[in-house]
Amino acid sequence: MTTEIQPVVESVEVGLVVEEAFRLFTEQMHTWWPVARHSIGEGKVETIVFEGRTGGRVYERWDDGAEADWADILEWDPPHRLRLAWHPNESGLSTDVEVSFAASEAGTRVELTHWGWENLGADAVAARESYSGGWKTVLDIFRAAA
Amino acid sequence: MFDALGDPTRREVFELLRAGPRSVGEIAARLPVSRPAVSQHLRVLKDARLVVDERAGTRRIYRVDPSGIDGLRRYVESFWKDALASFKASAERRSSGDD
Repeated sequence: MTTEIQPVVESVEVGLVVEEAFRLFTEQMHTWWPVARHSIGEGKVETIVFEGRTGGRVYERWDDGAEADWADILEWDPPHRLRLAWHPNESGLSTDVEVSFAASEAGTRVELTHWGWENLGADAVAARESYSGGWKTVLDIFRAAA
Repeated sequence: MFDALGDPTRREVFELLRAGPRSVGEIAARLPVSRPAVSQHLRVLKDARLVVDERAGTRRIYRVDPSGIDGLRRYVESFWKDALASFKASAERRSSGDD
């Protein structure tokens, strides 16, 4: 029996035009991302840098100047789509995140698809061993939920 | 540049198990790594609760643990839901003229 693993798909609808939604999501990510809950450096994070171009990096910068990588931009197609190699862990294992922005009645529908998330678990132990940081490891989360 | 720098062998071990239950020997036969290396990867996957094992005679058979996968999926879903909810809240402040 093969274990079929479907990508995770989540979406929201926002009352902004597509171009504004795309800009807010990407270059203004530092204004909304919940850093306290989801980052590597937590209280040390000064900002999130989103280099908006193919091959650009997405990373958090700490108040001491250190950087922690989140992703590389594989495809940059403003204002409709971007695709990231998502790897916010020091082991470097990468998974695939695509975000699309489509005009809707209320403004813009933003849909995020995450492939390869199942590989994060295999890396969770390595991630936990490599940094003591604030990004809750997958392992801790779903142990707590058990 | 965009290569996964992580542990590709561990992912391959996991991929093999997704195709069906296997013993350490069966996995090692399909990969260019030693049995002890395979055992080490299986220990990590077991610790992450992605695989379980049971004795079948003298052999230990490993298989994917669906409940481990489900737990992991729930975490990933809640992670992105949370991020998108923050994005939406920020968008709402923006579209109402605040911020």
